[in-house]
Amino acid sequence: MFASLIHPRILTALALLLAGGGLSVSAWQGPGSAMLVPRIVLTIWCAIALAILIGELVRRVPVKNVKLSPLPLLMAAVLIAAIATASLGFLIPALPLVALTLWLFRIRRPLPLLVGTIVIGGGLWFLFHHVLLIRLPALLTNGVI
Amino acid sequence: MTSLRYSLAALALIGATQSAVAADNLDIIVPFAAGGATDIVARSFEPTFSQQLGVTSVVRNVAGASATVGTAEVANSEGNPNIIGYEPAGALTIQPSLKKLPYGPDSFTYICRTVSNPMFLMVSKSSDITSFKQLVKESQDQPFLYGSSGPGTLPHLAMAATVVNSDLKAEHIPYSGSGPAMNALAGNEIQIMADTETILENYDLRPLAVFAGHRLEGYDDVPTIEELGLPELDFAVWQGVVAPKGISDERAQQYADACKATVESDKFKTFADKAKAGIAYLGPDDFKAFVEKRFEANKQVLKDAGLTQ
Amino acid sequence: MDVILAAIGDAFTWQALLAIVIGTWAGIIIGGLPGLGSVVGLTIFLPFTFGMDVITSMALLIGVYCGSVYGGSITAILINTPGTPQSAATVFDGYPMTQQGRVDEALGWATFASFFGGVLSCVLLIFCAPQLAKFAVNFGSIEVFALVCLAMLCIVGISRGSLLKGLVCGMMGFFFSMVGSDPITGADRFTFGTYALSSGLDLIPVVVGAFALSEVFVRFSARDEEATTIPEARLRFPSWREIGRRLIELVRGSFIGSFVGALPGTGAAAAAFISYAAAQKLSPRRANLGKGEPDGIIASESSNNAVTGSAFIPTLALGIPGDVVTAMMMGAMVIHGITPGVRLMADQAQTVYALFVVLIIVNVAMLILSKPSIGLFRYLFKLPLGFVMAGIVMFSFIGAVSVRGNPLDLVVAALTGILAYVLRRGGYPLAPLVIGMVLGPALESSLRRGLLISRGDFFSFFTHSGIATTLFVLIALFLIWTVAAGVLEWRAKVAARREASSAQPVSE
Repeated sequence: MFASLIHPRILTALALLLAGGGLSVSAWQGPGSAMLVPRIVLTIWCAIALAILIGELVRRVPVKNVKLSPLPLLMAAVLIAAIATASLGFLIPALPLVALTLWLFRIRRPLPLLVGTIVIGGGLWFLFHHVLLIRLPALLTNGVI
Repeated sequence: MTSLRYSLAALALIGATQSAVAADNLDIIVPFAAGGATDIVARSFEPTFSQQLGVTSVVRNVAGASATVGTAEVANSEGNPNIIGYEPAGALTIQPSLKKLPYGPDSFTYICRTVSNPMFLMVSKSSDITSFKQLVKESQDQPFLYGSSGPGTLPHLAMAATVVNSDLKAEHIPYSGSGPAMNALAGNEIQIMADTETILENYDLRPLAVFAGHRLEGYDDVPTIEELGLPELDFAVWQGVVAPKGISDERAQQYADACKATVESDKFKTFADKAKAGIAYLGPDDFKAFVEKRFEANKQVLKDAGLTQ
Repeated sequence: MDVILAAIGDAFTWQALLAIVIGTWAGIIIGGLPGLGSVVGLTIFLPFTFGMDVITSMALLIGVYCGSVYGGSITAILINTPGTPQSAATVFDGYPMTQQGRVDEALGWATFASFFGGVLSCVLLIFCAPQLAKFAVNFGSIEVFALVCLAMLCIVGISRGSLLKGLVCGMMGFFFSMVGSDPITGADRFTFGTYALSSGLDLIPVVVGAFALSEVFVRFSARDEEATTIPEARLRFPSWREIGRRLIELVRGSFIGSFVGALPGTGAAAAAFISYAAAQKLSPRRANLGKGEPDGIIASESSNNAVTGSAFIPTLALGIPGDVVTAMMMGAMVIHGITPGVRLMADQAQTVYALFVVLIIVNVAMLILSKPSIGLFRYLFKLPLGFVMAGIVMFSFIGAVSVRGNPLDLVVAALTGILAYVLRRGGYPLAPLVIGMVLGPALESSLRRGLLISRGDFFSFFTHSGIATTLFVLIALFLIWTVAAGVLEWRAKVAARREASSAQPVSE
């Protein structure tokens, strides 16, 4: 009985409701004038999320057979690279991210993997940072990399 | 098609050589999006400035949160000799008193002030108000509305100070920039606006007073705020160059010399003339004193108007 | 007349024409690459304009601008990822057409509708700019509030089948737009004491995460299936007969785009959604919308490209930039000693007319260059899926971080990408998230300003002006229509179910 409640759709709806509720608390504590519209929006959010949750509980969509997939790995890599950019500059986190993406998408022969990483990761970075002068976050203070 | 590829290649080549030659890169942070009023002046300032310094420079637009994000980036680069900020008045002298920021007026090495334009108190030409006295009188029955380019901007502060120090009754409506505020003024949603000569000349506006110590050339019949019986209010839209703290005195001196030469160059003067930016150079020490004075004055205005947190 | 001839002469110099070709072509490609949009494109090209004369530099920038608005539709149709937020509404019908194997047709309609919208708005700009500008001035805060409310209702239409989920996504987008400084009081909201959040969330990183990154994730989980291969991009222009059949759609979209573009502070993304919502109510083929109907592409693309012309109306007639992009153009004009303002038309007539000519040439150039540009994307998407996906991730990162040079925007994009993947798996439509984020700030600040102006009396909004009253009546009609249609549909469904259950006893 309880296990069937742990359905991804139910969990998503529940998470939405909780997020809306948590943010509402913050909105009701803030100054009245600045928080006027956020309060309205978040109240609607919570009401709809509750309705969705009830709807998902009533109409159970059968759980699909979940295969173990390396998708969370890709997501984590994207997130870590994004966070690391602030301190390591753009190029250094970008190269492993590109390499991992290529690897996960089944490009595993060394030469295409290497060339792909250098061209897509390094080449685009060089194009924007040094040629088009759209400055991306840099590691060194003089901005070379 | 081939010519297109050649021209693209040529464009790319220009950029590549530009940066390849550069042993030393200087980042000029502009805390607004590309194309804004400050950005335009900064981009006209940049070529001569970097030529004077003998470096290759890149204008980097770091926009957001009333220009404080870009300014904070300069402040956080303590000791970095390859970064300067081209800063507007608000980020240096207003925002630090309005909210908690990772910098204050003493977080910088001040290099120079480049341009400064005094502000006018203006009404639409289609209105029948011709003097400040009449404005005050007519505001008694029904308060006027004044616009600004956002909360805590110079147009807001100038009007807030005027309202506090006179009998004028007016309330504030902030817009997301001078443009939308002008639209509202044209549609008579607001009646009063404080802004610079550029705005005054480009739209159908009538100046009632100038926020400066003396009358301005070309506007001899526009009284100063002091002449109208108010305390002296000095509001101008200015820009200046700052570097992070902790750079060597030698580097600071290089910056200051380059800035002085740039501001005095014909190229920059021609541009300033076209863009109606009034050149108003101040050296490092004068600029530092100026910022500190403006910071204190603005803080007082914010306190009087009940805007500090 | 002499002025106009001289202006045409100005626009037909080889420098200006070369600038148009380079600008438009680069614009289409930049717009097509997910993550990179109009603002990044203009930032790239702005420094090049310093050494050019006025017309050449404006030709380059206008080319980049118009090209990028069109280019966004290419990836929207091909890989379900709008290249720019302006093309978010093109996905609704563009991608289903691709899945049905009608890529060539979809790209043909997108290209032709873009061209049509662009040219029609140029014509309006040339002949009615002063009148339209005067009319736009009447749109004060309260009128804008009513208009944005009307536009917000298009969430209802777009999330057909999962209305509640669409609405919650709309609210989420609205909420995203409220993080950071309050536009009226300047107080920080939802920053939880973090200084980095006080600049708020930018639209581009959120769109990049919601569409581009989540698409990478979705394609990753289905990477061994046949459906993930990207079909070959081809272009087939509609025949004159087909154009005649859908002429009303083209004209309606273009007029909506031209009008919305003339109002300061709205922009192309909002115009496309409003136009799509109008098509949902008025198109004779509305039952097919969202399932691969060319009318949907026409509604979106004709209106967003019509904004490119009409956005110049407030800029040229009043000196008031309509959006970020026209503000950048105004900056470029100032560099060359032209200060836009009320007297620009009178003082600089020749330059203004030359700009009009340039706008028209740019739209023609867009039509001609669409084929080689789509050809380029065809080669790019022929690469193995891994290279394409890695490229999308890279462009998303570059686009997200270069909008305002803030590394935090990358984290926002990554988190939005993960969130969007989870929502997509749960059956939540993502377009309302973008609508909420695009229209939210306009809705909120116009409401708050309206309350300041009416001194807190919300009910006086309804009688503020003729325009406002008309718009509120339209909103009421729209709501009644939607509710009535919903009730009818529900009753039909109940009746059908009853019939079915009486014919066949329930086995469960």
